[in-house]
Amino acid sequence: MSNFQWIWQYVKTNRNKLWVAVIFFLISTALILINPYVMGQIVDQVIDGHQDNLLIPLLLLMIGVTVVRTITRYIYQLIFEQTGQNALFDLREDMYRKLQELDFDFFNHTRVGDIMTRMTGDTDAIRHFISWVSYQVLECVFYFVVSIIVMMTISWQLTLALVAVTPLIFILTRLMAKAQHPVFFQIRQSFSRLNSMVEENISGNRVVKAFVREDFEIKKFNEHNEDYKQRNMDAANVSKTYLPWQDGTANSLSVIALIFGGYLVIKGQMTLGDLVVFNGYLWMLNQPMRMSGWLINDVERFSASCVKIRQMLAAKPSIEVQLGQKPLRVQGKIVFDHVSFNFSDDPEHPVLSDVSFAAQAGQTVGIIGETGSGKTTLVNLIGRFYDPTSGTVMIDDKNAREYPIRQLRDNIAMVMQDVFLFSNTISDNISFGRPDLDSEYVESVARVADADNFIMKMPNGYDTIVGERGVGLSGGQKQRISLARALAKDPSILILDDTTSAVDMETETKIQHELDGLTTKRTTFIIANRISSVRDADLILLLEKGHVVESGTHEELMAKQGKYYEVFQKQLGLEKGEQVGTTE
Amino acid sequence: MAQRNKSDVDEELTEQFNWYDYARLARYIKPYMKKIYQILIVIILANVAGMLGPYFTKITIDSIIPNKNLSGLWLIGILFTLSLFFIGWCMRYRIYHITELGQDVLKDMRLDIFQHLQKLSFSYFDSRPHGKILIRVVNYINTLSDLLSNGLVNLISDIFNVVITLIFMFAINAKLTLYSLALIPILIVMVMVIQSKQRRAYQTLSNKQSNLNAYIHESIAGIKVTQSFAREQENFRIFDETNEDNRRTWMHAVKIQFLLWPGVQNISVITMCLIYFVGIRQIGVEVSTGTLIAFIGYVNNFWNPVINIGNFYNSLITATAYLERIFETLDEKPEIVDHPGAKPLPQIEGNITFKDVTFRYEPGKDILKDVNFHVDHGQSVALVGPTGAGKTTVINLLSRFYDVNEGEVSIDGHNVQDVTLASLRRQMGVMLQDTFIFSGTIMENIRYGKLDATDEEVVAAAKVVRADDFISELKNGYDTVVEERGSTLSAGQRQLIAFARVLLADPRILILDEATSSIDTRTEELLQSGLLALLEGRTSFIIAHRLSTIKNCDQIFYVDGGKIAEHGTHDELMAARGLYYKLYQSQYDMLRLAHD
Repeated sequence: MSNFQWIWQYVKTNRNKLWVAVIFFLISTALILINPYVMGQIVDQVIDGHQDNLLIPLLLLMIGVTVVRTITRYIYQLIFEQTGQNALFDLREDMYRKLQELDFDFFNHTRVGDIMTRMTGDTDAIRHFISWVSYQVLECVFYFVVSIIVMMTISWQLTLALVAVTPLIFILTRLMAKAQHPVFFQIRQSFSRLNSMVEENISGNRVVKAFVREDFEIKKFNEHNEDYKQRNMDAANVSKTYLPWQDGTANSLSVIALIFGGYLVIKGQMTLGDLVVFNGYLWMLNQPMRMSGWLINDVERFSASCVKIRQMLAAKPSIEVQLGQKPLRVQGKIVFDHVSFNFSDDPEHPVLSDVSFAAQAGQTVGIIGETGSGKTTLVNLIGRFYDPTSGTVMIDDKNAREYPIRQLRDNIAMVMQDVFLFSNTISDNISFGRPDLDSEYVESVARVADADNFIMKMPNGYDTIVGERGVGLSGGQKQRISLARALAKDPSILILDDTTSAVDMETETKIQHELDGLTTKRTTFIIANRISSVRDADLILLLEKGHVVESGTHEELMAKQGKYYEVFQKQLGLEKGEQVGTTE
Repeated sequence: MAQRNKSDVDEELTEQFNWYDYARLARYIKPYMKKIYQILIVIILANVAGMLGPYFTKITIDSIIPNKNLSGLWLIGILFTLSLFFIGWCMRYRIYHITELGQDVLKDMRLDIFQHLQKLSFSYFDSRPHGKILIRVVNYINTLSDLLSNGLVNLISDIFNVVITLIFMFAINAKLTLYSLALIPILIVMVMVIQSKQRRAYQTLSNKQSNLNAYIHESIAGIKVTQSFAREQENFRIFDETNEDNRRTWMHAVKIQFLLWPGVQNISVITMCLIYFVGIRQIGVEVSTGTLIAFIGYVNNFWNPVINIGNFYNSLITATAYLERIFETLDEKPEIVDHPGAKPLPQIEGNITFKDVTFRYEPGKDILKDVNFHVDHGQSVALVGPTGAGKTTVINLLSRFYDVNEGEVSIDGHNVQDVTLASLRRQMGVMLQDTFIFSGTIMENIRYGKLDATDEEVVAAAKVVRADDFISELKNGYDTVVEERGSTLSAGQRQLIAFARVLLADPRILILDEATSSIDTRTEELLQSGLLALLEGRTSFIIAHRLSTIKNCDQIFYVDGGKIAEHGTHDELMAARGLYYKLYQSQYDMLRLAHD
């Protein structure tokens, strides 16, 4: 499908309005021809012919024509603008919807700034194309056709001589389009890089300041800034190579008309009067030829933007999103049966190898293991953020792959390692998963997460707006709000990924007691580095490089005196140091 | 701290656009005035050459054809063609240099705003969605592109044309000239009315665009949370509203904007009619037919540039809505700046004194109150206490991310407010709670701590903090490309990279804010020895919850309620049986409980 066919899908819903616009366009454009004619009449009839009574009607005609012409033009401009906006609206909606469907894999490999570019700069190029370029092209075509018809009636020989030049314009246009194509894509890419760089700089402003890297960042920015300018200059270079020729060719029509026309007149094949009239229409043929080069730039900008947007819209999430099913409630029995997983771009490094375990509904599973041992990946398989490479994950005795992902995720609440809070009120953040929650419920879950205390101390309490990502809050505070957010969803499966790493042990115990006290039975996964966080679990998995090396309850694992025991001893030692002996 | 902004709330404009801002805009253009003059000369030459066309046509029709002068015809053809080549050359010059002019001005503005952003304090970034900052640096500035290149040059040549034409008109017939200016007051009133409405409309639009940008940005950044909460529908609903707001305000704005052209067009035609009307009555009295026709031609010449100027003004009004946001950002005062006469901080030893330090974000709510302490160089200090007690604030004051409200923070006897920020922070290594990883290779990320570090130095630093273990297992080792925020790495791995980064910076004062919270036991154990090496000879502040990290410190501060409630060594505090003792016991109890 060409880019034009593709964008037509977004435009065609406005078909009826566009017909109206085209009609108004034709009226308006045709009226341009009237006033010069009326002025000629004034000179001929009134000034030379002294028919003074015609003056006022002619003048009123001129004003009337202008009024109609400007009103019709105003209307069709607005319709084209509206069409552009409607298409832009739908396109953005489609892109946003796609964004929500794409999986983690896509986001792990695409920079935020690049997606931003697609949804803002690129869509704007498309809007511009629909709202403006389209009727400019229309105008060109109209002038071209009308002028040729009119000129033909005056002198077909001369007209043919002029039309003979058009292939040259056509070739130049093609050549220029071909040369500009990669250039505009480069401009777009450069813009995306610039956008990404600034985006990262803003997000990472704390690190930049902490390391006094402002100058380094400015230097980096300067490179991108300069590159963006250079790419634009590349386009100017192509333009300056082709456009003057194009313009010159269009202007050469005047020369041809004059010389060849003059020749025809001298040879008696045309009258001088006809030549003068012919000359009067030349601009109409001239104009579209001159515009074509400029429009090519807009078209190429449009194409470059289409590429990236269409690429994103065509991206298939590896886990398909099915829409429209009824909500379903799972109990929360989870079984991993010989599950292995590796990222598609790195098949040599399995992240999980042959993991098997079973958790009954309502049980708590603790997962401990080293950094990078696959803990987070393991729980990500439950919510189908990834599907296993081999083996099966069973939820309520049914293969997880058979669950539509949104319905499944409705039953799961995760507290992620990187706490992400939205720049919104604390209360809105907590009720993120269930926007209809009342404030009482929000406060009650905040109490469970031991967040109520510090929230109440804030200037606006629950209505305090937190900065993007939760900046301004301490790690422990963010984790607790994030926990409250998960609890507010009242899930059957609760996943706590290193949720309490930044809170002190006392608070952690308090939270654990509160969690135990909750009446709803839910299957809970706790990923932690501290044994204290998992010791009450019904099942503890010790992961090492993607393998479950030990599993069982705290007591069983302690009795085994294996690796878990070792970790525990180490933690005890680390916590108490040399004083272990003296205090016991 | 002022109430933060969020994505669905319009930002209030803190300063209205005024004439001073045009002067400011002019300042960006000033360095390129020479270039503008050159372009103008070329444009005028091209216009003159363009006038030759009608002249050639005139003589061809008036004399050459009636005289059947074929050779004259060919000569005209050649001259005409030559003039076209000259026009082509002018166009070539113009395309390139006008683009360059526009790009240069934009580049300068972009750089200015970016440089200014680097000076702004945390609070600026913390108090609004990042998408709203981003749109100003990138998108808003781009909207000025046409205005500052073609628009500007055309404006100058149009004004030139208007003035010249007016002079000619007056020379021909002053009375008719006055008639042709009769409607100018109406034009001015119309322009004023349209511009005030248009301005407001574009201000609203720019706000809505900013909101949309912010919402998209947050949606992408927080996509994992959204998906894991299956909240897509609700997000979509909000997006839909924001999107609709954009469409509506856009249409409203263009409805007003597009009014200008029909207005000017109608006024120009009415003026024309007026001239005909008046002129024809006076034929033979004051004016000849030839004069009238020539005059009408000039009226046309007069109105075309006026319409262009109108269009320019139109886009200027549109751009104003963006310009005022850009200038607003440039006028944002950094809260933390070098004081006048600030000197660079000399090489420090790292003796730190807090004297009667009080700090608050807003009146009446002291975060820290009358805090006093002294730390000798080379000592390590652990800050413990409940969340929100003010631990992070202590270190933020030390590295002057915020300024104290009362009291004084000094290093080696230098008040931190009397030295330059760069010299102060360069001697400090801060490892923050949020580990931020830039997109790039792991090597580049660690090197951020010391830009001229060799690969060997980077690897050595990674080894000390035990990051080398996992890095060397990656497919491409140190050259592994990580995406923004390091989303493909685990939180613990990111902390290790950040650790290496700080170590490489080799600061005199080291600040670790919950730096090891996500690191597993084995790595932590291994890290301990590296950490000791790291702490050796540096003054360090450590915020941590793990007592293992805390207890080996030379001093422990228990921060509670904005005060240092207890301080001393681990043994002293244990002996004192106060808050620290309680904290320690509770953790110890939990461990013992686990052991039983």
